[in-house]
Amino acid sequence: MQDILAGLRIIDSTTAVAMPTAMHVMADLGAEIIKVESHTLTRDETGPYADNDPGDEPWNRDASFQHLHRGKYSLTLDLKTAEGIKAYKELARVTDVIVENNRAGTMDRLGLGYGEIRNLKPDIIYFSNTGFGHTGPWKRYAGIGSMLELICGLSQFTGYPDEGTPRRVGAAWFDLHVAWMAVFAIMAALHYRSDTGKGQWVDFAMYQIGVSTLGDAILDYSINGRNGRLMGNRHPVHAPYGVYRCQGDDKWIAIGIETDEQWVSLGSILGNGLMDNPKFEDPLSRKHHEDELDNYIAEWTGDKNAEVIMKTLQEAGVPAYPVKNTKELLTDSHMEARNFYERFTHPPESGIGIRAYVSRPWRMPEMPSVIHRPAPRLGEQNEHIISDLLGWSDAEVSKLYALDVMGKIPSNTFERKPVNLEAAVDEGTIAEIDPDFKETLRYQ
Amino acid sequence: MEAVIGSALGKFRIIDLTMGIAGPYASKLFADYGSDVIKVEPPGSGDIARSIGPFYGDDPHPEKCLLFLCLNCNKRGVTLNLENLAGRKIIRELVKTADVVFESFSPGYLDELGLGYDELSSINPNLVMTSISPFGQTGPYRDYEGNDLIYQAAGGIMYTSGAYDREPLKHGHPQSLYFGGITAAYATSIALYGRSVIGHGQHLDFSLAESAAAHQYQPVIRYAFLGAIDRRAPKTDTDNLKSTGWQGIVPTKDGFVSPTLRPPRRSLSGAVAWKEYANIIGRPELGDALAEARTGKERDEILMPALKEIGKFDYYHNIMSREWLGGVVQTSEDLVNCPQLEERGFWTEVTHPVMGKVKLPGELFRMPESPWSMRYPAPLLGQHNSAVYKGELGYSDQDVIRLRQQHAI
Repeated sequence: MQDILAGLRIIDSTTAVAMPTAMHVMADLGAEIIKVESHTLTRDETGPYADNDPGDEPWNRDASFQHLHRGKYSLTLDLKTAEGIKAYKELARVTDVIVENNRAGTMDRLGLGYGEIRNLKPDIIYFSNTGFGHTGPWKRYAGIGSMLELICGLSQFTGYPDEGTPRRVGAAWFDLHVAWMAVFAIMAALHYRSDTGKGQWVDFAMYQIGVSTLGDAILDYSINGRNGRLMGNRHPVHAPYGVYRCQGDDKWIAIGIETDEQWVSLGSILGNGLMDNPKFEDPLSRKHHEDELDNYIAEWTGDKNAEVIMKTLQEAGVPAYPVKNTKELLTDSHMEARNFYERFTHPPESGIGIRAYVSRPWRMPEMPSVIHRPAPRLGEQNEHIISDLLGWSDAEVSKLYALDVMGKIPSNTFERKPVNLEAAVDEGTIAEIDPDFKETLRYQ
Repeated sequence: MEAVIGSALGKFRIIDLTMGIAGPYASKLFADYGSDVIKVEPPGSGDIARSIGPFYGDDPHPEKCLLFLCLNCNKRGVTLNLENLAGRKIIRELVKTADVVFESFSPGYLDELGLGYDELSSINPNLVMTSISPFGQTGPYRDYEGNDLIYQAAGGIMYTSGAYDREPLKHGHPQSLYFGGITAAYATSIALYGRSVIGHGQHLDFSLAESAAAHQYQPVIRYAFLGAIDRRAPKTDTDNLKSTGWQGIVPTKDGFVSPTLRPPRRSLSGAVAWKEYANIIGRPELGDALAEARTGKERDEILMPALKEIGKFDYYHNIMSREWLGGVVQTSEDLVNCPQLEERGFWTEVTHPVMGKVKLPGELFRMPESPWSMRYPAPLLGQHNSAVYKGELGYSDQDVIRLRQQHAI
C-alpha cells in the first residue's frame, strides 16, 4: 500500500517541540519534510544523548532530536546570506507547504514572508505558527507550551485543592495538542487547494487552540459568573473518581465511576458493607460523601497489586487502570500488542542501535509500521536537495560550502555534558535508573 | 446538501454517531471549516453531553447545556435508534452519500448490528470510518472501560504530574477527551486526502489511552535512551538551584504566575540575568542578593515575598514585553476580558432558540481564503429530522411520523 501523503513536499522552518512534532507526524505518513536548519546556529539539542554519551557528533546523537525529527531530510542553509536566501526561494518554487514558527515579522525581514514566496509559487500554503498570532497587542510575546498551559486558562483547574496553588502537568500536553491541530489545519488548506488550486497563508496562534478547549468553563463564567477551581483528580459530577495507593513504592490505581452499573460492580467487589451504606446508595449521596468513600476504597487497594486489581475491576466493567510510570508504559502488554512503542533500528554508523519510540495513537490496519527513517544527520540531504532536486552544479554546491552557507559540522560548539544521573535521582526528577532497560526493551 | 462553498472542508459530509466530548469535538472541527455534519443522537435523552453541564443560568434543562452548545454548533441534528431495524436501514442510506462516519461505541458493537466497517464500506468504498474507543479495536484490553481519569493514568501523564510525595495528579479539565478529538480529526482528514492516492477510504482505529500516552514522549525517550524513569517533581527538601519553588507556579498579589529564568539572549546569564530580572520586576535593590544566593531556598526567600506584592498581569506584561518568558494563570474571567482574544476576533455569537444570544469561542486558526465560520447554533434534539429524512432520504410525511411512533427516530 502506498504512503498516504507520498508526493507532498514541505519545508520545515520550525524549532522547539510543537511544530517539529506536527512535521514528523506528516513524515510518518510519507510526506517529504525538508528541515531547513543552519550549521551556524545551535541545533535543537535538548538531550539526553544516547546512552548518556555525547560522542563525537553529539548533534547527531540527541534523543529528543531523534524523536522530534524522525523521517525528515536536513538541508543546512545560513539564511543570513544572500546565497542561502536564493536557495531557499528556489526550493520554495517546488514545494507544496512552508511551515514556520518564527516570531511575527521575522520571515518578512528575511524576504521569505508569504507575500514574497507567493510571487514565486502562487499556490503555496504558508503556515505560520506563533504563540499569540500575527495581530493584536500580544503578537510580539514569545509563546512556549509550558507557559501557554497557564495562559490559556487550563491551570485554574489543575492542582491539589488543599494546596491552593495550581500546578503544571508534567507532560508536553500543550505542545502535542497544538501539533495535532496544526496537522489538521495544514490538511484543511491542502483539501482547499485540491479543490480550487489556491494556496493561502494560515495564521495559527497556539493560545487560541488552548482556549478553544475551555468553552464550557468560559461560558460558566460569562453566563453563570463562576470561575474555575482546582479539581485535584475529581470529577465535577461523579464519585468515586480518583487515584488510590496500592502495594509497592509509589504504585497507584485510578478508579472512576460514572454510572450506577459501574458502582454496583465496584461495591460488590469491595464488599465491606458499602452497598448497604445509605451514604453511598445513589450518585448524589456518593458525591456528598466522597471523602469517606475514598477512604474505603484506599483501604481496600492499599495492600493489593495494582495490575491484579485492575483486571478484576475491568472484568467486572469498572473503569480502572494503574497510574503507569515510563517503564510500565513501555512494557504494558496491551500497548505491546498494538505496537504502540515502535522499535526502530538506526543505521550502524550512527552508533545509536535499536530504540523504542512513541509511534502514533491511531492505526490504519493496512499500514502497521509508522517510522520511515531516522532523524537526519546535520545537512545529510544537502547534495540531494541542492544538486538532484534544484539542479545546481557541483561547482555551485562547492561554493555554498566554501562560503559557509552550507555545512555539516556546527560552527559554534559548546560543551555537552552527560546527565548527572545520580544527582537527578537524588533530587527526585528521576525516580530510578533501570540498568537493564536494554534487555527490558528487547534491544538486542 | 448543507456544505459551504468557499470553505476548506465544505465538500465533506460526516455522519457523527459519537457522544460526549471527544468525538463531537472531532466533528466540530470539520463543521467549523464547512463540512455538513449530521449529528445522530439516540431518541429520548440524546447525547450524554446534554446532561453534563454547565447549564445556562444553572438551569439543568437538556436544551440549556453550555458544554453541548460549545461542541455542536454548525451541525445538524437528527435522532435515530440503532437498536431498531428501521434505524439501521436509515444509517445505510445515509452512508451512501457520506465521506466519514465517526463512531465511539464499544469495539464490535456496530459489527453486531451489521453496521461495521466491512458492511458500510461495501455500500460506499470511499467511506472513511473513524472508530474512537478507550483502548482501540485490537489488543487484550480492547473491551476495557475508560474515561478521562483512566486515560491520564494509562497514558502516564499523571505519574509525572503533581508533587513528589503525593498522589499523581491529572489535568483538572477533561483534556484527554479534547486532544483525543483533535487527533481523530487530523487522522480522518489525512485519510480523506489519501483517498485520491490509494483509491478508497479506510477504517481508522483510534485509542484515547494512546492519545494520552503520546504526550509522554519525553519520559519515553529518557527510558529508551538512558533507562531513567521520571517521577513527578523534585523532592521539596533539596537545595539544588534548579529546583527552586520559584520555578513552579507561585502566588502574586492577585493570582498566580509562572516565572522562569529564560532571558531572550544566551549572553544574558548568571549574575547579570538575575540583576536584570530584579529590574524587570521593579525591585532593583534585590539584584545583588539574588545573584549571590547559593541555593534555591535562599532565592525563594528573597523572591516569593517580592512577587507577592506584584499584580499578576503587571508581572506578565513586564516579562513578556522584554522578550523573557513567563506565564500568568488566567481565569475564565481573564479570558473573557482578554485584549488579545478581542483584537483577534476570537469570539463569535449565536442565537440559540432556547438560550438566546450567547457569545462563545470561535475561530481556531485564521485561513482567509477558506475561513472558519459560524453558521448555526447546536441543534435541538431531533431538530433536523424532517429536513434529513424527508428532504434528503425521501421519506413521506406519513412515514416520518411512523418512524417516530415506532421509536426508530
